[in-house]
Amino acid sequence: MSSPVETHARELEAGEHGSTAPGIERRSESRRHFALAVLIIAVCTLIALVLRPHVDATNLVMVYLCGVVITAMRCSRGISVLASFLSVAAFDFFCVPPYLTFRVHDYEYLITFAGMLMVALVISAQTGRIRMQAADAGWREARTETLYNLSRRLAGQTRVFEIARTAAEYVEEVFPARIGIFLPENGQITFQRRTCEHWPISRSEENAAQRAFDRGEKAGRGMEPAAGGASFYIPLRGAKDMVGVMGVIPKDGAALFSSSQLQLLEVLANQAALGIERAFSQHAAEAARVQMHTEEMRSSLLSAVSHDLRTPLSSITGAASTLRSQGDRLQPEVRQELLDSIAEEAERLGRLVSNLLDMTRLESGVELRRDLYPLEEIVGSALQRMERQLAKRQVTTDLPEDLPLVSIDDVLLGQLVVNLLENAIKYTPEGTPIELAAEAVEGSVILEVRDRGPGFAPGDERRIFEKFYRGKSEGVRGAGVGLAICLAIMQAHRGTIEAFNRPGGGAVFRIRLPLETLR
Amino acid sequence: MKCVILIVEDDPQIRRFLRATLAVEGYQFHEAFTAEEGIAQAEAWRPDLILLDLGLPDRDGLEVIARVRQSGQTPIVVLSARGQEKDKIAALDLGADDYVEKPFAVGELLARIRAALRRSAALSQNGAVFRFGQVEVDSDRRLVKVRGQEVHLTPHEYKLLQVLTRYPGKVLTQRQLLNEVWGPNHVEQAQYLRVYIAQLRRKLESDPARPKHLQTEPGVGYRLLID
Repeated sequence: MSSPVETHARELEAGEHGSTAPGIERRSESRRHFALAVLIIAVCTLIALVLRPHVDATNLVMVYLCGVVITAMRCSRGISVLASFLSVAAFDFFCVPPYLTFRVHDYEYLITFAGMLMVALVISAQTGRIRMQAADAGWREARTETLYNLSRRLAGQTRVFEIARTAAEYVEEVFPARIGIFLPENGQITFQRRTCEHWPISRSEENAAQRAFDRGEKAGRGMEPAAGGASFYIPLRGAKDMVGVMGVIPKDGAALFSSSQLQLLEVLANQAALGIERAFSQHAAEAARVQMHTEEMRSSLLSAVSHDLRTPLSSITGAASTLRSQGDRLQPEVRQELLDSIAEEAERLGRLVSNLLDMTRLESGVELRRDLYPLEEIVGSALQRMERQLAKRQVTTDLPEDLPLVSIDDVLLGQLVVNLLENAIKYTPEGTPIELAAEAVEGSVILEVRDRGPGFAPGDERRIFEKFYRGKSEGVRGAGVGLAICLAIMQAHRGTIEAFNRPGGGAVFRIRLPLETLR
Repeated sequence: MKCVILIVEDDPQIRRFLRATLAVEGYQFHEAFTAEEGIAQAEAWRPDLILLDLGLPDRDGLEVIARVRQSGQTPIVVLSARGQEKDKIAALDLGADDYVEKPFAVGELLARIRAALRRSAALSQNGAVFRFGQVEVDSDRRLVKVRGQEVHLTPHEYKLLQVLTRYPGKVLTQRQLLNEVWGPNHVEQAQYLRVYIAQLRRKLESDPARPKHLQTEPGVGYRLLID
């Protein structure tokens, strides 16, 4: 089966003189055209033989000229020139007395021969040119259509690799060849990043691809002297840089591509290269945006952190220096108060520092140490850690015995539960109850931490998970990092965390751990 | 009896307050600033307990544990930074008795020191009936009672409880427990252990979600608290 591009390319090829890539296909085609020309002249001769008794010999010339026109319409110029001579010879042999010999009695016929040959040659040339122009137009149209189709397919894609794959698949559709696109890594073409699964992977193939990439010229089989292998490589040249190479393995082992097919391949390769380059630069722009965002975050982090670090440090320094210089003149109660303040502020500083460290660790992409745990154990050890702070609270737990084990990092998830408990203690009045409840639902396990505090102001349900955001509440101190850490921990586990107001007053934090992460 | 404690710690400020605290509590103490010195002093003084910082300037504190364990069972309490579960587990696996996370409050440190000293004193005199909370473990008759009621434990549950009661108050790593209960071929199968601990809690604790005795040390292992 041949695609429109192939057909057009072949037609155009047939009309070309001195074509640079004489393939086997083309040779067999000339043979077919030659046979066709002979057949047409033979048919003309038959018609002439039938008409000969009734018509003047010079009029039989018209029959042959018709034959030449038909030949010129179907075949290449060489063949139609050949047909012109052939028709003159046949006319002489069959239609000019004496018959069945090339000898001529009446020398006036020489003028007829000369005229006939000239007209036949002019017809061949003109018809040939028209045919070539038509083929050329058709070829151009097919090429434009092909290009258009490719760019349309690439338009919707944003990811580099997807673009490469789409382009390779498309070229494969319109060319009788296996196509693979290979992308570089640090200037090195690697067959690891390729669009097709099956490709002859060998050192020489890789070297050919690398040569095409480095020199920006076609390399490999048929493109370089002494290059073997199954495939050749076309460089993918973007507007600025090389973006990769396209490997081509002609399907029909023996047939090489014609020059116009090669030309089209290169045009398609260019188009693909531009698409890939576009995706690359979009990617880079996105990375730059993220970088900028990160910078902004960093500066807001710095200002928040420096404030939160300095405040407890000033109280510690103040209280300690007071005790040192005036300790013996202070009332015992005052001394005790200052000591308490030092201990509390130091503790607070410690919590803040470990929160910040956790945040940094999570953001730098900490590796989870996952294993299967009963949720009960995580909740239990978190409650144990928070025992002192929870002394004035009534804490109830509702954990069904048949909860499936969850695949988690126990330290991180424990931290999450501790943070949620700390949050509840901070934002709800002393003495109000806190509940922890879990249940297994389809495909996941849900854990909820519920309180009976004031709940969230509208819009806060989401914002509270942002870094350094603190809910509007009197006298609450903290860096606003605890819930951001919870969010980061859940994201690392590919779970979710959400917060909402509780019917009847209070807040609910709900985390959902997917069970498909079970090994 | 005056106990002798060896402090192996390179930070002078921490040594300063440890000195003050231990002196007030009536402990005698020696100080070492490096691992090398720590090993030498442990051999010279034969202390009753070693307080060991893991981040020492010359060598890894873990080496000190290994060397001390070659020559005896002197209790070792490790001072570790928070979040370094790997180091903690390594220290415990090598035979450290307990750890305290920096920054720590003095009260907590003293409690750990007392518990470790008590354990080493009680090591030889293990009675037949072991009690914690409302639980009684009678190892002669292989009987476990909760509030006077006999409770049936499976053989593995019983063995696990036995191991825990052998080292009351001590943190046992998952590896140590798996090795003792299931054998050396199962030390990687921590989820067995977790399931059995959960079952033990259901049978022995009044609120299994807030265990008073069978406590989890996140990322490290378990500890049986007896008071």
